[in-house]
Amino acid sequence: MIYPVHQQPGAAAHADAVAAEHGGAAVAGAKSRTLWGDAFNRLKKNKLAIAAVVWIIFVVIVAATADLWVPQTLGDPTATASDNMAGMSRLAPSLEHPFGTDTLGRDVLSRVIYGARISLVVGLVSTGISTLIGLVMGALAAYYGGIWDTIIMRLADMFLAFPYTLFVIMMIAVIGNGIQNVFIAIGILGWPQIARVFRSAILSVKENDYVDAARAMGASDVRIITRHIFPNSVASIVVYATMNIGGAILTESALSYLGMGVVPPDPSWGTLIQDGQQYLQTQPWLMILPGLAILSTVLAFTLLGDGLRDALDVKMKDA
Amino acid sequence: MGKYIVKRVLQFIPVFLGVTIILFAMQNIVPGDPIKLIAGERQLDPVTERNIRATHGLIETDENDNIIYDENGDTIETPMWKRYVNYLGDLLHGDLGTSYQRGTAVTDIILQRYPYTLQLAVVGIIIEAIVGIGAGIISAVKRYSFWDVLVTLATSLLVAMPAFWIGMLLQLIFGVWLHVLPISGVAGPIAQYPAWMYYILPAITLASVSTAYTARIMRSQLLDVMNQDYIRTAKAKGLSKGAIIRKHALKNALIPVVTYVGMDFGAMLAGAILTETVFSWPGIGRETYVAITQRDWPIVIGMVTCIVLVVMIINLIVDVSYAFLDPRIRLGSSKSES
Amino acid sequence: MADIKNSALSRRQFVGGALAASALAALAGCSNNDGGTAGSGATTASGENVFRFYLSEPAYIDPYNAQENQGTAVVRATFDTLLTWDWDKNEVTPLAAADLPTVSEDGLTYTFTLREGMKFHNGDAVDAASFKRGWERLADGTMASPSEIGYHLAPVAGYAEMAAGEADEISGLVAVDDLTFQVTLTAPMADFTAVCCHPGLAPVPQAALDDPAAFLEQPIGNGPFKLDEPWQHNQYITASRFEDYYGEAPKIDGVYFNIQSTPDTAFTEFEGGNLDFAMIPTGRIQETIDKYGESEDGFTVTPGAQTLIGTELSTYYLICNMDNPSLADVNVRRAISLAINRQNIVDTLYEGTREPANSIMPLVIDDNEENVWEYCAYDPDRAKQILSDAGIDPSTISVTLDYNGDGGHEDIMSSIQADLQAIGITVTQNTTEWATYLNNLSAGNYGLARLGWTADYPTQDNFLYPNFYSTADNNYNHYNNPEVDAALDAARQIADEEERKAAYRTICHTIGEDMPVIPIMFYAHSYVGSERCVSFNYDAQTIPHFETAELA
Repeated sequence: MIYPVHQQPGAAAHADAVAAEHGGAAVAGAKSRTLWGDAFNRLKKNKLAIAAVVWIIFVVIVAATADLWVPQTLGDPTATASDNMAGMSRLAPSLEHPFGTDTLGRDVLSRVIYGARISLVVGLVSTGISTLIGLVMGALAAYYGGIWDTIIMRLADMFLAFPYTLFVIMMIAVIGNGIQNVFIAIGILGWPQIARVFRSAILSVKENDYVDAARAMGASDVRIITRHIFPNSVASIVVYATMNIGGAILTESALSYLGMGVVPPDPSWGTLIQDGQQYLQTQPWLMILPGLAILSTVLAFTLLGDGLRDALDVKMKDA
Repeated sequence: MGKYIVKRVLQFIPVFLGVTIILFAMQNIVPGDPIKLIAGERQLDPVTERNIRATHGLIETDENDNIIYDENGDTIETPMWKRYVNYLGDLLHGDLGTSYQRGTAVTDIILQRYPYTLQLAVVGIIIEAIVGIGAGIISAVKRYSFWDVLVTLATSLLVAMPAFWIGMLLQLIFGVWLHVLPISGVAGPIAQYPAWMYYILPAITLASVSTAYTARIMRSQLLDVMNQDYIRTAKAKGLSKGAIIRKHALKNALIPVVTYVGMDFGAMLAGAILTETVFSWPGIGRETYVAITQRDWPIVIGMVTCIVLVVMIINLIVDVSYAFLDPRIRLGSSKSES
Repeated sequence: MADIKNSALSRRQFVGGALAASALAALAGCSNNDGGTAGSGATTASGENVFRFYLSEPAYIDPYNAQENQGTAVVRATFDTLLTWDWDKNEVTPLAAADLPTVSEDGLTYTFTLREGMKFHNGDAVDAASFKRGWERLADGTMASPSEIGYHLAPVAGYAEMAAGEADEISGLVAVDDLTFQVTLTAPMADFTAVCCHPGLAPVPQAALDDPAAFLEQPIGNGPFKLDEPWQHNQYITASRFEDYYGEAPKIDGVYFNIQSTPDTAFTEFEGGNLDFAMIPTGRIQETIDKYGESEDGFTVTPGAQTLIGTELSTYYLICNMDNPSLADVNVRRAISLAINRQNIVDTLYEGTREPANSIMPLVIDDNEENVWEYCAYDPDRAKQILSDAGIDPSTISVTLDYNGDGGHEDIMSSIQADLQAIGITVTQNTTEWATYLNNLSAGNYGLARLGWTADYPTQDNFLYPNFYSTADNNYNHYNNPEVDAALDAARQIADEEERKAAYRTICHTIGEDMPVIPIMFYAHSYVGSERCVSFNYDAQTIPHFETAELA
């Protein structure tokens, strides 16, 4: 279990705990081919992880194919018809509208499905950005050590010391609203954790004989990192990144809830909850159902991450 | 020990300067004119606007507080470095400036709001410590039992939910459906419920996610410790399981948990924008968030500086108590490898 | 302060855009109080004959900066201005002045005679000097936090000089003797008496200058109620009947302003019997009407008719960027306006309580057909017709709808977007943070942008001059019609009321043909009073009238 550091409130504390927990994050196996083969076999036996994979694939397929069938069957997620809007407003769930309709008479299930696109893309893209920056920073810090290590790790500390939610909000204030800026903000602010994980992974791999051997044979630093160190740390990065996706989805929902995410009328899970909040007393499903979408998807990524960790035998002390 | 604490406290100074310098620099980067924001859509008349700028030291004035004009008759913007120097000077007199939006001293706003954050954090941390540690111990001791599965399941679910959504669910269940707890806010002189009831739902929401982590850390630590040689030895010596856990395992397993809980307390003291928003809790998180959106920089700078200092103090206390709990840790060496 | 407001929040908060008016405020609610510190508040609150009024945290309760309706409610209870607006007769009526002022022939000098024997809450006499003192605080740039509402005095001679720091007093304000107060304007302004009704233009005792910090927290006024203790921020403000009040003694013993951060908990407290007056949360209006009955006029609570749905003097509108090639064409603006189904918006989003705008100003200001704008009707066919007559293909029109993303406007905007797309216009929404939004507005970086206007004074001039005079501050899209400018200048000088009203109608009509802005709806308040209220009036300017309130 990794803490989705993105989750408020205690980002800094969580991050420190993560870092402490991951002190020994490293890959036990060295032979990558058997590692992945064994891992796959182990993962197959983990029922929860399989269920998670199935759910993620389901969500991805539904979201990816939405244009083909959702507007025809459930209704357009953004269009409203002003001629009978009041009559269509906030209908209770029914066969025709399984999740009911929102204030403007739009089908909520349709909006949840389109919202999945936003959440998945945010999860993947911002994790990608975090991972990329984190890898570079972690590699620089671990491989070169000394002053590089000090500067990068203090920088990481600074990022972690600042209240996370405030940090994202300020960042959004600087770069503006909109979904692409949400990836950027979440992506940039997520690097310190990845950097720490990767750095400690490298540190433990670096001491291995084969790295010394490669160096003795005159391999360049870049070659050593990319050919020798990276493949042997990749398992821990994959595990961490998988879990990070869930965290990024949660952060996006929080930003959208505060009105800083997608631009209307596009739906995101966070804005759907925010829209539903004001009808908590009268139409609570408007708030509950999008929350379940977040819960199930984040849970799936977490369980998959857990499964991968066990399968790959990444020693992150379980919490 | 004393030396170490002094050293750590002295480290506050560069951090404080760093944070304030960054925030001052932000004022140039973040779009939006804070003085124009005072009036909102309605524009201030130019004379009023000038007076307000002068009051807040945003434009140059002479020693009699008269506005200085350049040869074109325009006002002169005070350079950021000079405003920073003035800020530090005022700070020495305990003056953190005045809110642009409300004309209230920032120190007053902090004193008004911080108690709410502190109270909520204390209740939250108590819940986190008791429930988290308790659940963790039960699930470790009765491994693979019904309770273990329950704790694992509950913690997995909790960490996958947006905290603000947890808050809304609690409001729905206890406030709207059952009518047993207030939906939000804090008690006033004429409130429907006793004052303490207002803390329950926001504190649970605030603590929910970290309680789940606490339980998980507690469980894995305890399981880890139970596998260590000295515990096996104790077992071999015929001590009962309960005695082993109480006398040996728990003490060691608790160390990382206490660290986590302590640092989380620091994080709670930094305010919780989402929890405070969902529950209309008048704490500093929401105050700071609103100040950022209104570009009310004196409040933002005062609050963030205050938050960072509080977090650093808590971390220091955690580190020091860590040393007491675990004699193997020696303070003064650089932070453990992370 | 004339700004947009939302009935769910104070104007200021709404303007600040910091709180999502509908969503964030929606469920959450709060009485920001600390139970243990009730102090005398609790005793006053428990008093039988005390009016318990819901307030969200005001910005200022000192009249020199009275702007949003929260602070104004307190100022109105504790201070009496020279004149006040009589909503029954729809005209200005004397309050602290003994009579309406005499106006010099050139229309520049107004002479007020004060009532005799008026006292401040601290016993000081209310004289002409105290009015001069109070008014000058609005122009005093040296105050710890200068007034933001000095613009009310802009027509007064010498205001600009004092505000600029070039003079120590406003030369146009003269205390001729204890009871004679003379005001000289720079140019005739027939509606100046309406300006004198603004709560900011109150008298203050010497204490306001001696200890401004204390005055800020516990102002000493001349009104029917006096503050018992300093303002307990985020908790409460208590006022009790001022026994030496010059006018008719209020029937209630006092007012307990219960500060809650959102209307929803206030409503819960109301339902629990702890408040006498509260705002109705979104989505619960019909239910409340069914339960408590609806007041006929929308402004007065009486037993069994306790729900107030009343149109306020505030308009929600879109401003058209005249530099946008499409919007520069008046036909496009008219077509867009005709395509918007306003009734649908108010019915769906506001349970039909707000009114679709048919002009820039609500007709309660001046109930005359001529003020109605032709293109504010809903007629998509005509919209298409106008475009095709002008040879414009709707698909070539592409506009952005700009607004702040944190103010709860999404549903209104999405609805407008759908209506415009229905006639073939391409619309994209552009949400920004509040601060950035204001920057974009000033920089002309928008297509159709959301704005709101709340009247400072219930006059036609106050809707037209600040928004449409070519050089006025609030004229964001630099609408410039020399005919309108000239007519506004002329109308301000017409002394005869009927004639003046007619002149403004013509101006309003001209602007309505040009459509520089597209009015969407008029705000309405939705409040509910308790069974205890024998009678309580809450007027269109959101002013609670505690002086006439009666509790059972």
